[in-house]
Amino acid sequence: MKRMNQTTMRRLISIGMLLILVALFAGLAGTGEGKFFNETNLIEIVRNASIPAIIGVGITYVIITAGIDLSTGSMLALVGMVMANIYVYTLLPIPVMILAGLLVGLACGLVNGFIVAKLNVPEFIGTLATMLIFRGLTYIIAVKNDIGAIESVRMNHSQYAFLGSDFWYYGLYYVIVAMVVIVAIGQIVLKYTRFGTNLYSVGASKKAATLSGIDVMKTRLIAYAITGVTVAIGAIFMTAKLQSTTANLGTDFEFDPIAAAVVGGVALSGGSGDVIGTLIGALFMATLDNGVKMLDMNASYQYIVKGAIIIAVVIFDALYKKRIDRRAKEEGAKEGLE
Amino acid sequence: MAGNTILEAKNIYKSFSGVPVLQDVHFEVKAGEVHALMGENGAGKSTLIKIITGVYAKDDGQIYWEGKPVEINTYQDCQKLGVACIYQELSVIPPLTVAQNVFLGREPRKGPFIDYAKMNKMTQELIDKYQFPLKPTTVVDNLGIGQRQLIEILKGLSQNSKLLIMDEPTASLSGQEAEMLFKIIQTLRSEGVSIIYISHRLEEVYMLSDRLTILRDGKNAAVLEKEDIIPAKVIETMIGKVVDESAGSKKMLHSNDEAEVRLDVKGLTDKTDRYRNISFQVRKGEILGLGGLIGAGRTEVVRAIYGVDKAASGEVYLDGKKLDPSPKNSIHEGIGFVPEDRRNQGFIPLLSTTKNVALTNYDIVKIQGTSISDADELAMSKRAIEAIDIRPADPNKEVGVMSGGNQQKVVLGKWLMRDLKLLIVDEPTAGIDVGAKDEIYSILENLAKDGVAVIVVTSDLQELLRVSHRILVMRKGDIVKEFKNVEVTQSMVLSAGQGVEEEAK
Repeated sequence: MKRMNQTTMRRLISIGMLLILVALFAGLAGTGEGKFFNETNLIEIVRNASIPAIIGVGITYVIITAGIDLSTGSMLALVGMVMANIYVYTLLPIPVMILAGLLVGLACGLVNGFIVAKLNVPEFIGTLATMLIFRGLTYIIAVKNDIGAIESVRMNHSQYAFLGSDFWYYGLYYVIVAMVVIVAIGQIVLKYTRFGTNLYSVGASKKAATLSGIDVMKTRLIAYAITGVTVAIGAIFMTAKLQSTTANLGTDFEFDPIAAAVVGGVALSGGSGDVIGTLIGALFMATLDNGVKMLDMNASYQYIVKGAIIIAVVIFDALYKKRIDRRAKEEGAKEGLE
Repeated sequence: MAGNTILEAKNIYKSFSGVPVLQDVHFEVKAGEVHALMGENGAGKSTLIKIITGVYAKDDGQIYWEGKPVEINTYQDCQKLGVACIYQELSVIPPLTVAQNVFLGREPRKGPFIDYAKMNKMTQELIDKYQFPLKPTTVVDNLGIGQRQLIEILKGLSQNSKLLIMDEPTASLSGQEAEMLFKIIQTLRSEGVSIIYISHRLEEVYMLSDRLTILRDGKNAAVLEKEDIIPAKVIETMIGKVVDESAGSKKMLHSNDEAEVRLDVKGLTDKTDRYRNISFQVRKGEILGLGGLIGAGRTEVVRAIYGVDKAASGEVYLDGKKLDPSPKNSIHEGIGFVPEDRRNQGFIPLLSTTKNVALTNYDIVKIQGTSISDADELAMSKRAIEAIDIRPADPNKEVGVMSGGNQQKVVLGKWLMRDLKLLIVDEPTAGIDVGAKDEIYSILENLAKDGVAVIVVTSDLQELLRVSHRILVMRKGDIVKEFKNVEVTQSMVLSAGQGVEEEAK
């Protein structure tokens, strides 16, 4: 009756999906210079996956508690715009600007956590509302020109813009290094601390968690706060890479980390998945984006392909879970007959 | 073995929305004893336990722990005292390992990190001590229900509790696992741990317990010492001897074997083994009572006949025609179903009597132009109100605000508007006052007179005897007894459901 661990199984499935996708595009879009499968392009894919993966750490925590955060795209813009204001209107040093960005992210996360965990507003509605609020705040504080039109702010100070480039070694972008570090820390916290265990417990059964003396409210609140911080980190690298920010930064972005988590095996029903899974999911989505572009497919189709893949994965997970549950039940029943 | 009193609950009162559930209940547990708690469904066992563990607040009374008065307002309060409760509904967390579950919220740590090595070792020590077939590092997802229950027990044991409460601990255990549990209980007792053991299974209580408290209708019926725990006596006390001699405690059953077979169920078997190989017939005009303990599989069987859940195998025939059970087909064929959970499954609280009655009958409500005829809908609900005296007799009244009895009449009323061949009712009078109960019984009896076959699932023994023409008793997923054309008593039905042979009367 030896059976492979469900989590390991799901991990192998996502890695398999990623490899198949890479192989598929290598076949369709070709290998070699300027094609899909060459070093430069593959590094580009990892680079593009980094920000969703960083924010994915927070999102993974939130989804493991059976929550969701739809406000990350707007939050990204708000953090960027606060930093832009400091950049344009003050003489504060760059590190202070970065610190302010992180604090804004933390504050946004705490607001989400407070609304969802403390006031018990359903997470979908609560963060949908803050998505609007954060975007609105961004427009209000947006840097405007003489006639009052919102303009794109250039943030090309060398002390800042270097964050968008690579390390001393070719291809080793700061954002990739940051992603590796953050994902590693995220995974360790999830698997080796009480807080991590509590996230799973809260997601699997709030009632059982409460009975075990876990502070459900606090656990959820912290998960949203951490998401805010990861969004701020994402915003810093994104604006550093663009060397600018706009009020529209991160529009539609909230979808990316959620999609990464779902593809990576973090079930929206809570209680399962991990940060590494989300990383694989982020790589999968970035590969998909890149490959579709390489195929010269119309950008409009990319949305449809992405959407369809999410639906397919969710259906797959639901069917898979149903099968596992039934098997557990049947075995339980068999044991009862002995 | 038994020493000083460790827990005492005195003069406990509790009522839910005016209905008294516990009245002046006393309950006392001594150190190092296994104290069983028994009573029929609804006697107040669970409520008493929930008060002791801080899940419910008592209305009146006092709880003493080791002689001192204590206030238990949350489950954590009772944990602090040294009480652990192993709930009937599992509270293990599937994505975590066995060890993580056992030490949830109390994980040993090294710096900021969980000390998995230590935690797994501690869990292994517990597992070795009580010889559970578990491994600390197995993820619970991969375990069966029986093993999950063992984790729950392990969790209770790991807290070095002085008092363990076990609510139907063997309900989902295999024979082997149950044997193991019994051994553990003996070990714990010898270590001076007290256990409150709640079970419907008399043989377990008989074997394990040092004392037995029996509740009946929310009051103390008896506290029996070990030597007095005799099955016949226990059953007598649970039902109430006085009641047993009064009307409604026995009945002469009569079946009319001339009538045509209406429903024929052949070999119905569940996917997850909650019932197996169920075969029986119901004749025209017959009221068949389905008795047994809660969890015996009765509700699951009738749900499969109506088609809400699908059976794995087996056939259902109505008037000789093979059915493909699904609610839609069943309604079409003339089968009505009154579910157990009235409020959630029986009717729509926010809708009026008219809308509720019409809901299952839109196939027979007249259409006017392109929309449903309001007049016909209203006429139908007026017919229902008149036929069974639904009160208030206002067709536009929201059903959610009506009394339980009238709500149930609305549920029945919608079926009466159809040409019924078979009506299935599950716990038809749960939470309904006595007067309305009688009205519901006469509705069922009148239906039977008109040739409708009726199946009544009920845990209320008095009700079972009152309405049934014939009685089938289920136990652990099997039909274990049929009472037909005999004089039957409440004790006989209860004994059959318990699996106790009726040797000592």
